[in-house]
Amino acid sequence: MSSIPLAAPLHADSASPAVEMDPVEYTLRKRLPRKLPKRRNDVYVNMKTDFRAQLARCQKLLEGGGHREICVHGLGLAINRAINIALQLQASSQGALQLAANTSTVELVDDLEPEDPDEAGEPMTRTRNNSAIHIKVFYPDPQ
Amino acid sequence: MFTGCGVVTGQNQYLTRDAVRPHPGLEVNTPIQMENVVAPGTCAIYQGHTYSNAMQPAVVDVPDPLKPAPLAVPPPALKLGQDGFKKVCRTEEDSPCPFPGLASGVLEMRVKEGSKIRNLMGFAMARMQGEKCESGRDVSGGGLRQVVFSGSGRAVTKTITCAEIMKRKVGSLHQLTKLRYKVVKEVWESTEGSSSEMTVHRTVPSISILLSKDPLDPQEPGYQPPETLSALWEEKEGVESASQTACKRPLGPSPYSSFTHCKRVCLGEGVSVLPPH
Repeated sequence: MSSIPLAAPLHADSASPAVEMDPVEYTLRKRLPRKLPKRRNDVYVNMKTDFRAQLARCQKLLEGGGHREICVHGLGLAINRAINIALQLQASSQGALQLAANTSTVELVDDLEPEDPDEAGEPMTRTRNNSAIHIKVFYPDPQ
Repeated sequence: MFTGCGVVTGQNQYLTRDAVRPHPGLEVNTPIQMENVVAPGTCAIYQGHTYSNAMQPAVVDVPDPLKPAPLAVPPPALKLGQDGFKKVCRTEEDSPCPFPGLASGVLEMRVKEGSKIRNLMGFAMARMQGEKCESGRDVSGGGLRQVVFSGSGRAVTKTITCAEIMKRKVGSLHQLTKLRYKVVKEVWESTEGSSSEMTVHRTVPSISILLSKDPLDPQEPGYQPPETLSALWEEKEGVESASQTACKRPLGPSPYSSFTHCKRVCLGEGVSVLPPH
């Protein structure tokens, strides 16, 4: 996992010297989101993979994979791309596919590890929230 | 690949663009339609739509006319910013309300890219919770019953965040989420003295989230019952075993690895405090 050094509080100089941990540099490590379901028809969209490749993967699942529905997930920045993929799938199906979107909040944990062990900084964790979307792309039941 | 009809051919162009990300100057990175009078018939559906409510003079006098083939459109689109064209006008075309049968007095929050969440939420929460003096009693007693958050393009994430915050703060809200493409019309003008003008139609993904204190139709696609705040992930895992189907191909990259990528991107962009040693 990649890590980037982070000066713990940015205003270390202006802060009062009484605060001991200020000068310590921390490495910010972003932990992975915990516990994700992974079925055959779950697609987790990211921003690293080529958009067309991810779209093609979804199309393959729906057309070649024989799935009646797939679930496209996106977290944070990838929400946009997840929506795009879902809308593209729907458009290229000429109305055969339907979308059902759900949103949620995912709690993410960051680890702050002291850069220099001599500084005796405490390892810390910080939690934050990020938004996520889960789009069910499905063929409606022929009723 | 998926060139099925007029709409789709237009959206094809988006794919190319998404990978390229040419100039950040454009507000939304999802140009799908590049509409040009010089090349009629490229996207029959949108053109018909366009001309019916085109209020702009739409005088198109582009130096190099677009080729009729839709896939040839992206290159000129990419060069828009550099070719001495300046965006002079951007209008979102009116689209019908995504929630049919919604009462007319519903508060609609239009989230834009630069909107501050505290401003949006400060306003929306006050309206949903009613007057300050009433805030002591039951929350559902005062204020509005429903609110719609809508946003497009890069504001989509913010829109979801607003809805999530409101769900958490107000509690027991029924949610209905709708996704669709929204058509945005942009007029570009040449900066090189000539009076050439170009109208660009692009479609951007947009989201509308209806939050309601009253129950909504659970059969509607995109419905979410109250209090599925963080339970959604676990819930789905329960479904997993039930809906497990025959596997045809080996597992792709695990969800963990995909989110690793995602996080790396965030790291690269978000934290620029110190260069890594």
